[in-house]
Amino acid sequence: MVELSVRLGALELRNPVMTASGTYGHGLEMCHFTPPELLGALVSKTVTLAPRPGNPTPRICETQLGLLNSIGLENKGIESYLEHTLPEVEKADTVIVTNAGGESIEEYREMARILDGQGAVDAIELNLSCPNIQGGALPFSTDPAKAAEVVAAAREATSKPLFAKLSPNVAHIARMARAVEEAGADAITAVNTLLGLSVDWRRRKPGLGTVHGGYSGPAIKPVALHCAWACARAVEIPVIGCGGISTAEDALEFLVAGCAAVQLGTACFADPALPGRLVAELHELLRREGIASVGDLIGTLRDGREENLEARSGNGEERPKGIPVR
Amino acid sequence: MPAPPSDARAHLGRVLGVETCGADGAILTVRTISELAPIRASRFFMLGRTDGVSPLIPRPFSIYRQRGRDLDFLIKITGRGTRALAGAASGTEIRLTGPLGNGWPTLEADGAPWVFLAGGVGSAPFYLAIEQALAGMDGRGPVPRKHISFLFGAAQADHLYDLEALGDLGVSIHTATDDGSSGFHGTVLGLLDRLQGEGTIAQSIRICACGPEPMLRAVEELARARDVEAYLSLETLMGCGVGICNGCPVPTRPEGPLGEWPNAKCCVEGPVFAADAITLAGVE
Ligand SMILES: Cc1cc2nc3c(=O)[nH]c(=O)nc-3n(C[C@H](O)[C@H](O)[C@H](O)COP(=O)(O)OP(=O)(O)OC[C@H]3O[C@@H](n4cnc5c(N)ncnc54)[C@H](O)[C@@H]3O)c2cc1C
Ligand SMILES: Cc1cc2nc3c(=O)[nH]c(=O)nc-3n(C[C@H](O)[C@H](O)[C@H](O)COP(=O)(O)O)c2cc1C
Ligand code: FES
Repeated sequence: MVELSVRLGALELRNPVMTASGTYGHGLEMCHFTPPELLGALVSKTVTLAPRPGNPTPRICETQLGLLNSIGLENKGIESYLEHTLPEVEKADTVIVTNAGGESIEEYREMARILDGQGAVDAIELNLSCPNIQGGALPFSTDPAKAAEVVAAAREATSKPLFAKLSPNVAHIARMARAVEEAGADAITAVNTLLGLSVDWRRRKPGLGTVHGGYSGPAIKPVALHCAWACARAVEIPVIGCGGISTAEDALEFLVAGCAAVQLGTACFADPALPGRLVAELHELLRREGIASVGDLIGTLRDGREENLEARSGNGEERPKGIPVR
Repeated sequence: MPAPPSDARAHLGRVLGVETCGADGAILTVRTISELAPIRASRFFMLGRTDGVSPLIPRPFSIYRQRGRDLDFLIKITGRGTRALAGAASGTEIRLTGPLGNGWPTLEADGAPWVFLAGGVGSAPFYLAIEQALAGMDGRGPVPRKHISFLFGAAQADHLYDLEALGDLGVSIHTATDDGSSGFHGTVLGLLDRLQGEGTIAQSIRICACGPEPMLRAVEELARARDVEAYLSLETLMGCGVGICNGCPVPTRPEGPLGEWPNAKCCVEGPVFAADAITLAGVE
């Protein structure tokens, strides 16, 4: 028997496999493909204060090795979520994470306040990083001080575990990670989609209705892995890896790079039964490799930082911060 | 929460064969590992090869014919995904997610005669529709042969896929081509006008239509202008087919039955919509 459970701050997940926001609905409706009790956690599609009709079409455009999307956070708003969705999702026997979005600090604060009162919500993930509203130019996706303000505002409004989901479209993601940690985040999700563009040169047209959009899928795995690793090096709080994961091997790469859990996104479109299947594959892979607990792998990358880790466990000192991230 | 149909599953199957069909089409036959109940016409599957040749995102295809676990899909080759499927050798493993979507409404015998309008590969959801209507759907009586007309339009004669097999179903078939190489010289809607004008098809009809966007837009307009009960099977882009990507929005009519939200999800609320529920005007 392989131990798959992992800790995410105060939360215990039965395994490190979560769904990624916006790529598995609210999770429960997919129960014929993956029963929720097989998963570590279900993450909701981004919910916003007011309903959002979403972006014009085309909203998706497949490229050679990945997918561009510009959904624009289509959702019926928090009221509808609380009235119709959450009471259903609550029945799922797994950790429920509600992903909250907004366009201002006030909106995030209000979302956190409202969700704080919901017993069914186990954690809140702040989507600080959607590239499809205001053209990805939202200041809190790229400015550490602004991101910290959002997290601090939400922190004041809730005692629930708070995740900050970061954008890879920044020069120094480690700075973003430290900023949200200091502002009170309990975990970091790294990462959201990369900004991308597709061009049909014959028709002189972009592939998406909004011209550019978020790039995801296998092509972004190395970028996501680097971001997750850089975050994990920079902070004490757990990091959840996300980006291009479609196999158990991919998931283990993120764990070794320092992630406590992973989220599956675009790969679920190719096979909606993937999340459950991946958990089984993870179990089988670890059993074959003779690894007793998945937790033993977390942060074991031989990246020259092992000595620091050992020193830290030796004298209980804080992990040295500010290691230059290559 | 719009959810995928409760009978939809992730299936695996193997290619039994691929047969060329017309100038740019193929009929792909896949045998699934697990048993499948009879599938309603105009429901669909997301298909992709598991050997890495198919693109990342599977593609949606209507169920064309079914004999137990053997499923036929009529595929028009338009790009990477369709080429990979049409080029699959016998034995190639296929991932099939489905059956998805709602399918045609009950094609009832009572009421006005049915007219099925197909444009090009939009004929795919009609083979089963004719079979099922003739057999009687959902416990209702069979539709008499004379109450079904199949109007099949295409750019040219060799895009009138599988015409012979459709003819064997025993309902009246009329063709139209843009270049006049088969049947009526013009569109299916022009053909419908002509047939209604000469009395071959009654004035009062019910319509099921599937085909390219401009054709469906014209059917939507006709339905509204003449107050005809009409159902459109749409082919939007699809990222998942099961309601989780939000990539397949169809604009709803504010005053229609789906009007409480500006978009419907084609994959889980369609692909068949009543013409008064949606609006294709302005859709590319
Ligand atoms: C519910 C449903 C049922 C369908 N049933 C059939 C069927 O039975 N037989 C069949 O041949 N096709 C069917 N289609 C269309 C089929 O899914 C597309 O032709 C296919 O996805 C194109 O993939 P590709 O990789 O070959 O082309 P791509 O390289 O992706 O695109 C080539 C061209 O096809 C267009 N295209 C891409 N996706 C779609 C789409 N989903 N619908 C329409 N055009 C598209 C693109 O805009 C482009 O112009 C159906 C679509 C839907 C939504
Ligand atoms: C169609 C689509 C919709 C998405 N919607 C959201 C969303 O609502 N909120 C969010 O935080 N991330 C959203 N994402 C980003 C994913 O959660 C994930 O971070 C990203 O796709 C990278 O992971 P992947 O490569 O495994 O897909 C979306 C991604 C896609 C492809
Ligand atoms: S195709 Fe993904 S939601 Fe409809």
